[in-house]
Amino acid sequence: MAGLDFSILPQQLVNGLLLGSIYALIALGYTMVYGVLRLINFAHGEVFMLGSYAALFTSWALGFSPESVKGIDKASSPMNLIIMLVVSMVVCGLIGVVIEQLAYRPMRNQARIASLITAIGVSLFIQYAGGLFLPQSPPPAISEQINPFRNEKVTFTIKPAPKEAVDKANVAMAKARESDVLYEKAKLDGRPAAQLETMRQANQEAQNEASSLQTQVSSQTSGIVIPFGQLGMLLTTVFLMLLLWFVVQKTKTGRAMRAVAHDFDSAALMGINVGRVVTVTFMIGSALAGAGAMMYATVLRTPLTPFLGVAPGVKAFVAAVLGGIGNIPGAVFGGVLMGVVETLVVWLDGLIPGLGGYKDAVAFVVLIAVLLFRPGGLLGSSKVEKV
Amino acid sequence: MRIVSILLACGFAFGLDTVVSQQFQSLYRLVVLAGLYITLAVSLNLINGITGQFSIGHAAFYMVGAYSAGFISKTFYAGQVSPQVWMVGMAILGALFAAIAGFIVGLPSLRLRGDYLAIVTLGFGEILRIVTQNIEPIGGAYGMNVKPFGSPPQTLWLAWILAVLCIAVCRNLLKTAHGLPFLAVREDEVASSAMGVNTSSTKVTAFIVGSAFAGGAGAILAHAESFISPDMFKMDVSFIILTMVVLGGTGSITGSVLAAVALFAIPEWLRNLQDPVTKVPIQIPGPALVASILAVVMTVALLKLAQDRYHGERVKKIGLLLGAIFAGSVAQMVLNLALSQIPSLAAKSFEAAALRMVIFAATLIILMLLRPQGMMAQHEFSWAWVARVFGKKEKVAA
Repeated sequence: MAGLDFSILPQQLVNGLLLGSIYALIALGYTMVYGVLRLINFAHGEVFMLGSYAALFTSWALGFSPESVKGIDKASSPMNLIIMLVVSMVVCGLIGVVIEQLAYRPMRNQARIASLITAIGVSLFIQYAGGLFLPQSPPPAISEQINPFRNEKVTFTIKPAPKEAVDKANVAMAKARESDVLYEKAKLDGRPAAQLETMRQANQEAQNEASSLQTQVSSQTSGIVIPFGQLGMLLTTVFLMLLLWFVVQKTKTGRAMRAVAHDFDSAALMGINVGRVVTVTFMIGSALAGAGAMMYATVLRTPLTPFLGVAPGVKAFVAAVLGGIGNIPGAVFGGVLMGVVETLVVWLDGLIPGLGGYKDAVAFVVLIAVLLFRPGGLLGSSKVEKV
Repeated sequence: MRIVSILLACGFAFGLDTVVSQQFQSLYRLVVLAGLYITLAVSLNLINGITGQFSIGHAAFYMVGAYSAGFISKTFYAGQVSPQVWMVGMAILGALFAAIAGFIVGLPSLRLRGDYLAIVTLGFGEILRIVTQNIEPIGGAYGMNVKPFGSPPQTLWLAWILAVLCIAVCRNLLKTAHGLPFLAVREDEVASSAMGVNTSSTKVTAFIVGSAFAGGAGAILAHAESFISPDMFKMDVSFIILTMVVLGGTGSITGSVLAAVALFAIPEWLRNLQDPVTKVPIQIPGPALVASILAVVMTVALLKLAQDRYHGERVKKIGLLLGAIFAGSVAQMVLNLALSQIPSLAAKSFEAAALRMVIFAATLIILMLLRPQGMMAQHEFSWAWVARVFGKKEKVAA
């Protein structure tokens, strides 16, 4: 087992879980739409992309545009994050409804492949029209200063580093800090340049030693570090999923959605307003993608381009199929599995060099393997077609 | 008559080669690519339209053909035979490799149906692309140069003859008893299996034949472009091929051919669009663009309404449709004037070339909304139809 670093495994699993929770949020939209319409909504990834841009524009409107935060440390409050989340959810929900009304509703009675091509068309249209109107070069990213918790993190230690190493690192740190103070003071005092230069070198050495000792300590510690922002992301995701579960299982709309998913025509005959149910489904699914997009753009700070939605979109779609498309718990399960598998492949790179390059392919390998043995997905039921 | 058609088409291919090669190089390349897209669309039509197996990973077979033929050409060609003969061999070889890939992908189709099969084919394409990206001897993510002959070879005749061959095979399959199992599987798999059709071998055969043609096209592409990279075979390419099939009318060979040429030509035409006098790329002002997008949405909605709701006289219906288009044009002008008042938008302008994918996507949506069964629906081109159009009433032996 040469090259495998087991001390980072728990951290990798947690990272996978965090990434997977975003995939799960997007996968929910795919699976819900598929459940009611039997339509693969290829434009869902583009809704996700528009959501991230909505978050970007909101952050600018809240005073965090690149010009206004340049060189200063601006204070932010959690309220800003909540506003961004709500705005991108609302914007995405509306976009989802518009797409459904304009592009999918007229296709309702046509062959399914025709709707699929329309979905591909909508997806291409949003990507390239977005390329005309949205800022993209250089790819803008949401300022990290809008996140008030950016420096805080939760640490769980599993196995602490040896005591002497920690002590040594602490001593070095103290020394480095002291030399830093001395150097700064010397600069202010206006010492001769040559003397300043030697002091600067000494200071640099002390800093380097301290940081290398620190890295040593952290490599000997095995534990999990979760930045506060990512923890918030996970909690928000869980909260939204519980909310969704409540809506689907406990409300009248949710019951109508389940009825439509079960049998479209019978539901219509039973007096359910199918058109309204489909609209609501698109709205909820797209709003979830918007929430995912806001967190993806703010916490993971991905640079935004009009093609941002393609990769997470495809992966979330695979996740939805993996869990059994049309199945809500399946989408969550599939998404998390997808995130964990992806980080594990990067981790296994240590064992088989070059494996990391295949991380996007592994998602599909897992998918094909699962589908061959359980053609209906992991949690889905596969129906045998009868005459 | 059939043989005449094929001979005519082959003669056309050779004629095209000599005529176009005297013209500019860029047109030559486009005509080659158009031929390849016809092959791709018709071969996918065999899998999707005729056999009813939902495959959305056709670019994978294209890639297998391109890379296998490209690699072998690059490594082993040393003037053994003339380039033309060598390329025919390579096309066959590419087809062979792609057929093996098609066989592998066809196997899951025995177990999976509909959307699940679609996803597996898509996944297979992505896996192949990512694997290719990671293999250094064939260029990795950067790509591979294929220049075995020194100068770019004459590929046009080969591309178009492959297209003709592909059309001939699919057409004969449809018209003869050999094709009946394929159609039966499309219409009802359970029933056809009850009637004694070997559904497994039919489905796998469709995949093998369809992917073999795509592989042949890939082999020609590798030689025509002299450079291939994994980026040329992305998911988008599969989607575009699928779009050609559906837009032409699922199951109609003529439709696939027409849609392949049209969908290939539209973006290429827009890419080179320039002012005929000054030769400067055409600039479209921002307000006009936004107004056009909104007006097109409105017009399409009106057209769709008129098409669905009005079931009266034909003349009146055409009047209504024309009225919708007129209303749309008026709306465009009004909106254009209104939007010109917004300074930030009025200052912007876009090059026509930058709009080509937007227009492409919009065409796709509009065509699907207004004619969901595809351009040709289920119909085919035939000499009988030509005869009817040109007024000869006697029955032509097809």
